[in-house]
Amino acid sequence: MTHARTPTHFVHPAALGLQSAATRIGKARILGDIDLRLPAGRWTAIVGPNGAGKSTLLRVLAGLLPTDGAVQLHGRPLADWPPRERARQLAWLGQGEAGAEDLIAYDVVLLGRLPHRAWLAPPSAADHAAVQRALADMQVAHLQARRLGDLSGGERQRVLLARALAVQAPVLLMDEPLAHLDPPHQADWLASVRALVAAGGTVVSVLHELGMALQADDLLIVRAGRIAHHGPCGSAATHAALQAAFDGRIGVHQVHDHWVALPRTPEERTHAD
Amino acid sequence: MKRWLCAVLIAVGLGVHAYEVVDDRGVAVRFDTPPQRVVSVLPSLTETTCAIGACARLVGVDRYSNWPPEVQKLPQVGGGLDPAIEAIVALKPDVVLMATSSRGAERLRALGVKVVALEPKTGADVKRVIGKLGQLLAVPDAGRVARDIEAGVAAAAQSLPPALRGQRVYFEASAGPHAAGPQSFIGEMLHALGLVNVVGPELGPFPKINPEWVVRADPDLIMAGERSGGEIARRPGWGNLRAVRSQRVCVFNAQEVDILVRPGPRMPEAARLMAACITRPPESPAAPSPRRGDNAGGRGDPGHGVLAWPAPRPFEHERACCAALSVFAPPPSGRGQG
Amino acid sequence: MTTADRTIAHHTPRPTPAAPRSRAAVLVTGLLALSLLAAVVGASVGSTGFESLLRAARDPVAWQIVTDIRLPRTLGAWLAGALLGLAGAVAQGLFRNPLADPFLLGSASGAMLAVAVALALWGAPVAAASWVAKLGLTGAAFVGALGGVLLTLLLAQGVQHTLRLLLAGVVVGYVLGAVKDLVTLAAPDVLTGMLSFMLGNTGLIGWDACGVMAAVLVPLALLAWASARVLDGLSLGEATAHSLGLPLAPLRATLIGVLALATGTAVAQAGLIGFVGLAAPHLVRGLARVTHGPLVLLSALAGGLLLASADILSRVLIAPQELPVGVLTAVLGGSYLLWLMYVRTRRGGQR
Repeated sequence: MTHARTPTHFVHPAALGLQSAATRIGKARILGDIDLRLPAGRWTAIVGPNGAGKSTLLRVLAGLLPTDGAVQLHGRPLADWPPRERARQLAWLGQGEAGAEDLIAYDVVLLGRLPHRAWLAPPSAADHAAVQRALADMQVAHLQARRLGDLSGGERQRVLLARALAVQAPVLLMDEPLAHLDPPHQADWLASVRALVAAGGTVVSVLHELGMALQADDLLIVRAGRIAHHGPCGSAATHAALQAAFDGRIGVHQVHDHWVALPRTPEERTHAD
Repeated sequence: MKRWLCAVLIAVGLGVHAYEVVDDRGVAVRFDTPPQRVVSVLPSLTETTCAIGACARLVGVDRYSNWPPEVQKLPQVGGGLDPAIEAIVALKPDVVLMATSSRGAERLRALGVKVVALEPKTGADVKRVIGKLGQLLAVPDAGRVARDIEAGVAAAAQSLPPALRGQRVYFEASAGPHAAGPQSFIGEMLHALGLVNVVGPELGPFPKINPEWVVRADPDLIMAGERSGGEIARRPGWGNLRAVRSQRVCVFNAQEVDILVRPGPRMPEAARLMAACITRPPESPAAPSPRRGDNAGGRGDPGHGVLAWPAPRPFEHERACCAALSVFAPPPSGRGQG
Repeated sequence: MTTADRTIAHHTPRPTPAAPRSRAAVLVTGLLALSLLAAVVGASVGSTGFESLLRAARDPVAWQIVTDIRLPRTLGAWLAGALLGLAGAVAQGLFRNPLADPFLLGSASGAMLAVAVALALWGAPVAAASWVAKLGLTGAAFVGALGGVLLTLLLAQGVQHTLRLLLAGVVVGYVLGAVKDLVTLAAPDVLTGMLSFMLGNTGLIGWDACGVMAAVLVPLALLAWASARVLDGLSLGEATAHSLGLPLAPLRATLIGVLALATGTAVAQAGLIGFVGLAAPHLVRGLARVTHGPLVLLSALAGGLLLASADILSRVLIAPQELPVGVLTAVLGGSYLLWLMYVRTRRGGQR
């Protein structure tokens, strides 16, 4: 598998699409009416207040939750994709995944190659290369022989991230990928995501770190089960929508070349209003 | 020519002397000559074999066979339920006597060992088994033993004064409580002694009954093994039973229990034990049910004239290994691995 | 290293971690060697001691003892242990619980009920008794074990929900256990027969039993090994496993089938032997870090060795008498786990 992905790899400009009337878990209606198209080759960050339904939306996009409507991957309904092909196109990293304590980090990352491996075949040289690259990207190559259960929270999260990267899927969905990561490693993650997108991949991540979310290409704001706003991160309309989504309790400011979101004290809020 | 004739005669002779024994499982086992090396893994069969005069032919017994005393010197080959296959085969037996419910029989047969499964459960069974053993071991007049048993039981019955007959008795076969019904051979012996069983025949040979039912039945006499008998008086409501108040509760020790549960040649002795229990005056220290109840560790207490508890062998709860009877121990609780 | 370096440069692939792989290989060799040793020792010990082996060439009875009794018994114990170890590894992977054992899905209670019914019908002059006699206790135990698992699957409505499966297994265990208690109340003389079944007994295993177990072990081990990647995927969570494109439902059903058949066969031949299925995967994990594919195979080897050793000890400790092998597996497996826990907590405390 080559590093540089040519745009001709993708057939349809929208990597993911979702049209759904409602998504329920049990009897509770988590998501309402949604019509969404996420373009390929861009990094979209999904933000919103707690309980807005961000994780649910991501799971629906990944095909992990049933919904009243339809999800499309590269223009084709998700249900029509054969599972292994779908797994090669779409990689998922969930939030707070447990288990696999007894495996070594290398084997955990190697699991990301399962969609590429024939059923009883041993891992190929390409598989090992992908694993090594993912380990290097996440700066955990020195931990590859260590048992997952023996690692710290941040190291573990980076190994799991490496597992998602090892799939080398054009579309990567991540739910709270920065849990337990300290700023230097968050910067590593940012670099990997930017590299992926530069090579033509699509990244969708649910983030509650607004500062990191504002580094993305597009921002998708979810509030009370609906899409409140979907637009580029740099635009003022997006910033206003973001502030409104949090009831004005945050303010978006520019620092050097970047946008950051800082909480507003009550005095600042009254002054701004 | 002569040698050839001799061979024919021997072959014919052997053929003539070859015989078949059909065991309790319906399997016909063929013997060319009467077996000289016998292994028995059921105590009642051990005792019967010795009683019919073939004791010298025994080469191995199970760990529970302890009568007559000379069999205790024989090599032990496990229990009835877990026979030690290797030990049995090593003894090169001509026949192995087992209970019908033992699993080792197929394994032994597969190894070429002849197995005869006999399991007496009722008094009529005992007579039949004695006859079968006599036929198997080619012992003349094995029926004499059966007649002696009958005579002994009858003598024990006759030794009872008529006034003591007709008493109502409750025989507790094991904790549970399981009672001995009239269809069991214990029940038959009780009947032969002129006692009335509080348990009716419709309940089966060893029914598990509600203790409250015994309180309502209020027997004149209670018989129990040492394990369950020790705390009989402490059961709720049992303190008021007429048998308990007049101390007409017989608790049999380990040796006596052995005699009672084995349907074999010691049945007359069992009947005598029961008769002794019936005729025993209530104040005798040998029937100290409430006092025994006071002794939490009443086993082996020499003050009551009780024989010392024998050193526990492993899996002592299998001691009444005669599979016809529920063991004199609480049924194992729990469900294994679930 | 700059971003450009990382993304553009071709890394020469570093070799895969050598130490864990070689440890696994060492473990395999070790287990096989010890198993061979156990076979040799098993042929030499028993109630008649070592002389049987020495006299075997000349004495036909000694020869029979060594080849027809001791060898199949040792091999049979190894095979039964291997089946249980395989089933234990599959159970722990399926339920993602290190305390899972092969008897979780009602197989133990089903087997016990079937054995109780078979023993009760044995003496009865009923028409059913004839096919019970043909089936034998081993057949009854096997059918019962499978029946228990089927009942659990019915109750859980399929294989999709692990928690529902576990709960259904517990319920089935209790219900079938209660039915078995009713049977033993109705026919108390089966209790004594059931006792030897419940404690585990390897003493009655002959060459044909070995053949049956081997014929079941090999295909099941291969099937489990081939399906093991679903266990690896599941160890990261159901969502991840699904996202990796693994066909969860069919593979789960396959593995439950492997679990049921392996447990049923082992239980039918050797009775209920606890702890082997629980301890064997832990033994392997304590010595080598491997994914589920090698784990199920290594657990089979470890389980076989464990039960073969327990069988040898059961013959040797109070010779010429024998201890029930289930007691010894609990002692052996339990002591090892206790030692493992002690070592881990000590290591953890010092860290």
